[in-house]
Amino acid sequence: MADILLTVEDLCVRFPTDRGVVQAVNGVNFQLEQGQTLGIVGESGSGKSVTAKTLMNLLPRSADVEGKVTFDGRDVRELARKKEDHFWGVQMTMVFQDPMTSLNPVKRCGEQIAETLRYHLGHNKKKAIAEATSLMEQVGIPEPTKRVRQYPHELSGGLRQRVVIAMALACQPRLLIADEPTTAVDVTVQKLLLDLLDDLRRDRGMSMILITHDLGVARGRCDEVAVMYAGRIVERAETETLFSDSRHPYTNALLRSIPRIDQPSHTRLDPIPGRPPELIDPPEQCAYAPRCRYAQTDCLDSIPEVGGVAGQHIYACHHPANTERGEAALAANLAAGETATGLKIHAITEGVH
Amino acid sequence: MADQDSSLDPAQVVLDYDDLEPEAEDSGKRKLGLGFWIAIGWLVAISLAAILAPILPIDGANVIAAGKKLESPSIHHWFGTDGSGRDVFARTIWGARVSLSVGFIAIVAGMLIGGPLGILAGYFRGKFDAFISFIFVSLLSFPSLVLALLIVNSLDRSLKVVAMVLGILAIAPIGRLARANTIVFAEREFVQAARVIGAKDMRIMVRELLPNVLIPMGALAMLGMAVAIVAEGGLAFLGLSVKEGASWGKMILEGSGTRTLRKGTHVAMAPIAMMFFTVLALNYAGDRVRAYFDVRETAF
Amino acid sequence: MAGTGLAPLRDRPDVLLSVEELTVEFPVGRHDVVHAVSGISFDVAEGETLGIVGESGCGKSTVARSIIRLNKIRSGKVLFEGIDLASLKGEELRRHRPNLQMIFQDPISSLNPRRKVRDVISEGVKIWAGSTGAWSEGRIDELMHAVGVDPKYGDRRPHEFSGGQCQRIGIARALAMDPKVLICDEPVSALDVSVQAQVLNLLEDMKQRYGLTLLFISHDLSVVKNVSDRIIVMYLGKACEIGSADELYENPRHPYTRALLASIPEPAPTVDVSEGNIDGELPSPITPPNGCRFNTRCPYADEVCFEVEPQMEAVGDDHYIACHHQVAVSISS
Repeated sequence: MADILLTVEDLCVRFPTDRGVVQAVNGVNFQLEQGQTLGIVGESGSGKSVTAKTLMNLLPRSADVEGKVTFDGRDVRELARKKEDHFWGVQMTMVFQDPMTSLNPVKRCGEQIAETLRYHLGHNKKKAIAEATSLMEQVGIPEPTKRVRQYPHELSGGLRQRVVIAMALACQPRLLIADEPTTAVDVTVQKLLLDLLDDLRRDRGMSMILITHDLGVARGRCDEVAVMYAGRIVERAETETLFSDSRHPYTNALLRSIPRIDQPSHTRLDPIPGRPPELIDPPEQCAYAPRCRYAQTDCLDSIPEVGGVAGQHIYACHHPANTERGEAALAANLAAGETATGLKIHAITEGVH
Repeated sequence: MADQDSSLDPAQVVLDYDDLEPEAEDSGKRKLGLGFWIAIGWLVAISLAAILAPILPIDGANVIAAGKKLESPSIHHWFGTDGSGRDVFARTIWGARVSLSVGFIAIVAGMLIGGPLGILAGYFRGKFDAFISFIFVSLLSFPSLVLALLIVNSLDRSLKVVAMVLGILAIAPIGRLARANTIVFAEREFVQAARVIGAKDMRIMVRELLPNVLIPMGALAMLGMAVAIVAEGGLAFLGLSVKEGASWGKMILEGSGTRTLRKGTHVAMAPIAMMFFTVLALNYAGDRVRAYFDVRETAF
Repeated sequence: MAGTGLAPLRDRPDVLLSVEELTVEFPVGRHDVVHAVSGISFDVAEGETLGIVGESGCGKSTVARSIIRLNKIRSGKVLFEGIDLASLKGEELRRHRPNLQMIFQDPISSLNPRRKVRDVISEGVKIWAGSTGAWSEGRIDELMHAVGVDPKYGDRRPHEFSGGQCQRIGIARALAMDPKVLICDEPVSALDVSVQAQVLNLLEDMKQRYGLTLLFISHDLSVVKNVSDRIIVMYLGKACEIGSADELYENPRHPYTRALLASIPEPAPTVDVSEGNIDGELPSPITPPNGCRFNTRCPYADEVCFEVEPQMEAVGDDHYIACHHQVAVSISS
């Protein structure tokens, strides 16, 4: 087994708001090996971006964080307390969804990359600009010597995101966190950017956390995928296992609700009823239970513990799909016509409508 | 086009997209707060006193009370008497009548003229907008004091004229706010949706845009009223305020003579305090109203 | 890619909406114009769902907004039941509006935050019933029920509902007009993944129940395939390929369509697409390339493509493309 680069233990993040305390992240655990890519998949409000921001020490002061984050043996939250500037941006960097949030609109692209180099690595101006030009070339920006002197608004969305990637890679990070890096760009550009990230990661032996709401992106690009729902990781497995043999009813339902390009036109979709839960004062029960076709009374009594095979395929569910226990629960619910939470269900109608 | 066929039996509907509950009810999440209600309480009390001044058991504005001039506050004269021996409390109430009227009339005039002009300009844009915007900018560029001097001197120093002057000065800021907000909301998809279902321009402006523009306009009106009340005070110092009766501005002017100030600070302090608390209340309430109606645009 | 030419127009009696050589230009600055849509032609038969797919800036939303006359049309025709909507003005245009309704991309922005949802839904009916009151609360209740929002919450305001619910309220508002054509401009792209399927199923059900004809605009190739009978692929203001949904995805002929399909993160096993990446930048719509508009990025581009604009031609049963190199492509596939 390769070296463990990052360990996250029992991470909890709460935000006080006018309406109450938002439990954004609720006991997240994972490990990331050197050189691996972990995908974190979830909807808005699932806690995936908050997890990333916690790792990057980007949360507002009002946030209440608990848990332990270890990066290569160092306590990351301890580094934050000591205001260790040359950790974030050097060892661990991040690429955001909207490149314009990371780029200063009134500074030339090259200068912005150079600034990172000068600040963290102490390069002089000339050396930093030369390095910036070379980085821009490495991330596939055509005519880098010209682009170095251009402002962000003069570039297309795809090129801007490449500049951001160049900036993130400037100091040879060991972990890159990409938070919806391709959500703001078109599908053809998305492919190019993801290919680029893949290549760079492989060449540099870097680890990556890829946060996305797009299951297709996660499937194509990650070694391992974690599915988040209501601030928890509900299932985590090697990519192929997760997509072919999912255990958590949420993962299962999500995969079935999305239109697939290999299905014929007008295939009836199988939606997930309801909507994601409120994160303020969540009840002590499985957060997915109200929308779950498998829900039994025990799902309302307690939050399910993480089960499965540690390090391979884990899931937090009392009645996992594709298991005897789960299928029995589903069969019982179908026979009754409703689940323990009162959700009306009927047999899935396959085929064309 | 409403009822033709499409009869529908609710029982046969298979709602696998069924999701009947809205988000948690909104009431109680946002609060105006105690401060707001104190401010409103003050404004209501002072307005009532001003309106009811003729039937309140107080002296007339210019009645010289029996007793000394510049008498300190006492049980008979709550705020004391002024340099002419008039009851300062009574004059403060009568002054509220003038000051609040001036502020109120000015702002209502500004809203009635500036608001519609701003909405029309923001909705239709083009040449009409350019013309109206030019007028607004001209009004803002014209030195306001000179404008006030010109008008008041060429007409007279009645309450109507003073209010009119301040009203004219209020048109441009209110109109520009209405225009800016209209432009923002006119681009929103609900305005396009209204056009698609066949709403006419007038209906879109009144039903879709006005309710959205009115809130920031109302908040600005409260701040504007505060400005107008202070402006009346300024005009008084130039001898341009209302000729007849008392106003807070005139009272402060009278109370701020060197001799009066030395012997009876209360003469100036009473109207200053009144103006201060009223302006504070208007500003605070205006701010709270704007924050309160700042509807969450996203559902999460 | 050019996509001019009337070839894709079908000569069928049940064609409900027919767009002929639609051109839309927006002025920018003092002298320039954005060539948003340049001479596109297509038609939609009654009860059909036509998908329009393409990347941002391809003009798909402009086409939708032009049909419904939210844009100025430079030239071309929009024939609905034999009437050219593009030539109508003022009151005459307004009278035709109820027939074509629209679902917008942003469900929250498309509802007036200051109005109750019941008023939002009944607004159109009130406009057309005038003062006669010839509309019933029952009809509004029925619509709310149909889209899955309980009528008892009609007095709530939009911000009290989730994004998915707001989109249903928008659908109910459109259905209240009893339209013949429903234009959906990216109706699910602002919604959470788990809610998208609900809205897509709802649209499908409403289409069946109310006998609608749908125009469905999206950048998401899988979503478009799921809902559409026929699909147009657009690039830089032109159509490049038109075909039935299943045929287009199984046998894509235009280099751009093929590149699009190849870019999907998880390509379908049934589609064998050799074109990998298309590199380079989208050209400016202010100065689009001469000849074929895709020539700056196309792996097959040669001299002809830079000089001659390809016309729409049939390459199969109800399958049209605008490309000089269709043969080469079909051989390589």
